[in-house]
Amino acid sequence: MDSGILISQSDKRPIYLQIIEQIKRRIAVGDWSEGQSIPSIRQLAVDIQVSVITVKRAYLELEREGVIVTQQGRGSHVASTPGLGIRLHQEELQQHLKEAIRLSALLGIEPKELESRLREASDDIAAKERS
Amino acid sequence: MTNFAIKLDGVGKKYRYFTLDNIQLELSPGQIMGLIGPNGAGKSTTIRILMGLIHQDHGDVRVLGHRMPAEQVAAKWDIGFASEDMRLYDAMTLDWHMRFIRSIYPQWDQTYAQLLLKRFGLRAEQKIKGFSHGQRVKATLLLVLARRPRLLVLDEPTTGLDPVARHEILRELTAVMNDEGRSILFSSHNTQDVEQISDQITFIDRGRIIDSLDKEAYLNRWRRLRLEAPLGIELPALPGIINIRQSGRLAIATANEFVPGIAAAYENSGARIQMIENMTLEEIFVAKVELSRDEHEEVGA
Amino acid sequence: MKRSVIQTLILTDLRRHRLPILACIASGIFALGLIRIGGELPVILGTIWFFTGLIVLGCLLPGTNVINERKKQTLPFLMSLPVSITQFTTAKIVSTVGMFIVPWLTLVIAAVLFILGHPRLPDGMIPVVLAIATLTLVGFCLIAGVALVSEAEGPMAAAMVVANSSYGLGWYLLVRMPGVRAGLASPEIIWGKEILTVLGFEFAVIVLILGLTIYLQSRKRDFV
Repeated sequence: MDSGILISQSDKRPIYLQIIEQIKRRIAVGDWSEGQSIPSIRQLAVDIQVSVITVKRAYLELEREGVIVTQQGRGSHVASTPGLGIRLHQEELQQHLKEAIRLSALLGIEPKELESRLREASDDIAAKERS
Repeated sequence: MTNFAIKLDGVGKKYRYFTLDNIQLELSPGQIMGLIGPNGAGKSTTIRILMGLIHQDHGDVRVLGHRMPAEQVAAKWDIGFASEDMRLYDAMTLDWHMRFIRSIYPQWDQTYAQLLLKRFGLRAEQKIKGFSHGQRVKATLLLVLARRPRLLVLDEPTTGLDPVARHEILRELTAVMNDEGRSILFSSHNTQDVEQISDQITFIDRGRIIDSLDKEAYLNRWRRLRLEAPLGIELPALPGIINIRQSGRLAIATANEFVPGIAAAYENSGARIQMIENMTLEEIFVAKVELSRDEHEEVGA
Repeated sequence: MKRSVIQTLILTDLRRHRLPILACIASGIFALGLIRIGGELPVILGTIWFFTGLIVLGCLLPGTNVINERKKQTLPFLMSLPVSITQFTTAKIVSTVGMFIVPWLTLVIAAVLFILGHPRLPDGMIPVVLAIATLTLVGFCLIAGVALVSEAEGPMAAAMVVANSSYGLGWYLLVRMPGVRAGLASPEIIWGKEILTVLGFEFAVIVLILGLTIYLQSRKRDFV
């Protein structure tokens, strides 16, 4: 099974985080649906040429977050929770929002200003799409 | 007796200008261990001792359950060895070498060998002396891989190879992990390869093992903190920080035992944390070696 | 299983050196042909050529079969196979000496038949020719043994000098033995006590050299 996961060397983040993110994305966009089986730890390790221990760490973390389930001797599959894909998309949005808030704090930007900036950016995008 | 693939216990070897001291190394089956160290650190010597090619002065060496060097013949049936200074017979073809190995090892997988020829872009009917450096390395690895040995011991398998060849080889090495019973020990000073495919990492420098552990746990312990400290603020010395470099208002702290408490401690002291970065294995390696050498010199050993 | 790895190593060495072995045999037969033709110059040339072929091969083989494994760095490749140092050395001795013995034996038999068939050469020469020929075998074993143990060209060259000097010296000493000299010109082959002692001594030295080689090799602790 082709995992479609690609580890980027220019990405400074640890490999296990990249794996986690890409698996979540696959689920979020609907490629991997709830309950669907996914490559086992070893299979994925071989597929993307990464150590087993790194994939294991990613899978453990994903299991802890309730995104996947690993069963001894039976491999791994996406958790069967309905609406998982949407939930993951929501979480990603939250992450981005938190990051935006953190950066604004560094720059000394107040939440109110952040709000108006968000509206501005949204209008910009809408305008571009219309033209 | 535990079933380690490799177990070195208190191994030592003394040469005139170099001593290998108290080498402790364990590799569990189904794992890949990367052995890193500067040139002359003792990687090749350690590898040759575990292959039974060099007899240790003291210490216990067990490979696949066999005591080395006494039981090296039994062990070598299941070990695939390739080292950077190893050469094949120039005047003979790759095909000759394949038939040679095949006549000795019953586990030779001819189908896989043919697949490797294609993947590596090698021509079996060509004489070894006509091969480029990269082709020769790949040919040597093909001879070792096609036997599907239980243990692969590789001394600098990707050194001097172009990126494409390196990728081809890493692909075959990780493919070995499909079989839980097979293990790999490889030495390299290419920390990127080691970081990518190793489960365990062993650092060696000047004949001593500096560290030997689980890669993810190890990478997780190290951080680089970029701090902004207004002039006049004293940055506290914290446990888990091995190095602070200050330049004007900016400081970079290197942590080898990072806990979130460290970040809090800095902020409490008035410094502001700009960024907490993970470190690559190369950066960790250099920091570790420098630290270890400083410590060693202080002790005056 | 052990034996088949040694066998494979031996056969591989033999096959790799096919050409030099055949060349040596061919040149030896050619040399005998020269002697058969007769006349002072052909006989002298032929005799020298006959022994030279063997001596050249004797110098070449330990170099290409033994020293080269270290020089061309094929030793780690071979030692990664399921063999011990002792097994490897044994295989090398058998193949190196074996490669020499094939042409050696061929030429010795050819020489003996030649003398037997030659109208003017007394058959009594045969034991002496055998003794000198065996001396070249002793010399070769010395060179091969030194090459295996020292793995260096210097000591091997020294061994070659010692071996090659011994042939002339050996001939000189041999024909001075009264029992030997008496039998030389005889039309019958005489196996005198002296010549038999010499031959026995030569074979004992061969066994000693080869045994010592295996022993010294097995004691090495840093092989590769």
